[in-house]
Amino acid sequence: MSMRLINAEFLKLRKRRGLVAAVSGVTIGPMVITYMVLLGLHASNPGKYGPAGGLENFQPSMDVLSTLTIVAAVLIGATLGTGDLTAGVFRELVVTGRSRLSLHASRVPAGLALLLVPVGVAFAITAAASLVFAGSLEAPSGTVLAQSGAWIALVAALSMAIALGVASLFSSRGTSIGILLGWQLGLMPVLLAIGSLGAAREGLFYAATDRLRPAVVDANTTVPTTLLTALIVLVAWTAIPLALGAWRTVTRDA
Amino acid sequence: MNVVETSRLTKRFGDRVAVDEVDLHVPRGSAFGYLGPNGAGKTTLIRMLLGLTKASSGEMRLLGRSVPAERAAALARVGAIVEEPRFHGHLTGRENLAVIAAAREPEAGKRIAGALARVGLSARADDRVKGYSLGMRQRLGVARSLLADPELLILDEPTNGLDPAGIQEFRHMIRGFVEEGRTVLLSSHLLDEVEKICDQVAIVDRGRVVVQGSIAELATDGKQTILVETSDNEEASRILGEHRAIESVTPENGHFRITLHPDKQAEAAAGDISRRLVLGGAAIYRFEPTRVSLEQRFLEITSRLEEAA
Repeated sequence: MSMRLINAEFLKLRKRRGLVAAVSGVTIGPMVITYMVLLGLHASNPGKYGPAGGLENFQPSMDVLSTLTIVAAVLIGATLGTGDLTAGVFRELVVTGRSRLSLHASRVPAGLALLLVPVGVAFAITAAASLVFAGSLEAPSGTVLAQSGAWIALVAALSMAIALGVASLFSSRGTSIGILLGWQLGLMPVLLAIGSLGAAREGLFYAATDRLRPAVVDANTTVPTTLLTALIVLVAWTAIPLALGAWRTVTRDA
Repeated sequence: MNVVETSRLTKRFGDRVAVDEVDLHVPRGSAFGYLGPNGAGKTTLIRMLLGLTKASSGEMRLLGRSVPAERAAALARVGAIVEEPRFHGHLTGRENLAVIAAAREPEAGKRIAGALARVGLSARADDRVKGYSLGMRQRLGVARSLLADPELLILDEPTNGLDPAGIQEFRHMIRGFVEEGRTVLLSSHLLDEVEKICDQVAIVDRGRVVVQGSIAELATDGKQTILVETSDNEEASRILGEHRAIESVTPENGHFRITLHPDKQAEAAAGDISRRLVLGGAAIYRFEPTRVSLEQRFLEITSRLEEAA
């Protein structure tokens, strides 16, 4: 893997105007709208609606942002994993003699470079709004903001890596997006809510990311798990799809 | 030295054998045609050479290096167009080359401008590829293959979809590469194209290389033919029939096609034949050494195979 390869992957991504617009729209847009609505409500009726910022609004905003970050990560990961194949350029890359593994590996930093910018902006808006518009409410501390920023970056990175691995494995962008969004936003929350599954739920991605979430923002943790278990679960959830995607990339007919 | 060498190279798809124990030898500095009908296994062989698909058995060497063991080093100096060249349509021509250059040695990036100029695409290099015509894409494909500063260019059906002017331009380009000392391995089902571009050829049919060698050797198969027309065909027929250098005499529309024995010195034999005809009283109107076209030879070989099958 080299910087030139990473830059090339990043070039392919950032030149997809539709993707960049979608990812920006799905992350930055809702956060701007959320705080505008909260500000409007507070301005129209301060007695009924409290200030738009503060820790009280920061917590649900982070819930929304983490969900939207996963959607953005899926879009980018699926595009990265299938872009060269769909365009028919994968074989042209293989013909250069460059190892297929390094081609696969270079996609991870390139995807993160594109994903973390809008997610960072969306988080910055959320953080700034929670401070500036806190009014009489308790504002999140610098530590909480730093921990929350690191946590959302972690969720973004791991979700993107999973999406890249799955898309490389299935070789179809549409199928991969469907599977990933169905699992991440549909099936996994349902499984988390089924109490009879007990400790088995500790193996779910969300249970592990919730464990790493800053305590003050942790409003909805449903499955208690240890830090070590959470770390193992996250490594497994990331490494297995990435490894399967790498295996498919290395072994497929180009 | 051969830049491509294969030994009993085979590719099977289930029960079907696409490439059947092919022994191929492509000499350095030549334009080598890999000629065969559609479905003969040409693209599959090229895909194996380039590491796009695995061989079922056999060995291959590119630029003296064993493939796939030393694939990266071998492909560093190989440029290729496999089937229709494909690109990211949302990127410009220059950006597409930059993407491929990034996967090659650092110097490859410095060759982009030169490669675009070489194929006449400098003016359109910053347009998105989705707006390119097929001919422009083919040229961009050639530019991409030049990023490797290739010793060997592997071109699979490169003139597919080109108009006559584009085909002619392509031929000149390929001959230019050979004159620079590069080797070109060109796969095609177009006999005329191979005959006009290549020095050497291998004819492939149903996955097997039937024959390989120089175009001149294959076309004549070591035999020289001469068309002869005289003032007295009856006397000419007798003289030609008795000449020991002549293997066969075939009457054709008022003239004869004579085929010399392959072991005879063609020029000396032709001189002696013409002298005898004149001495025998048959004035010569036409005495024309001919070359069997590659097309005739190809049809001869493939029909022989069909008869055998």
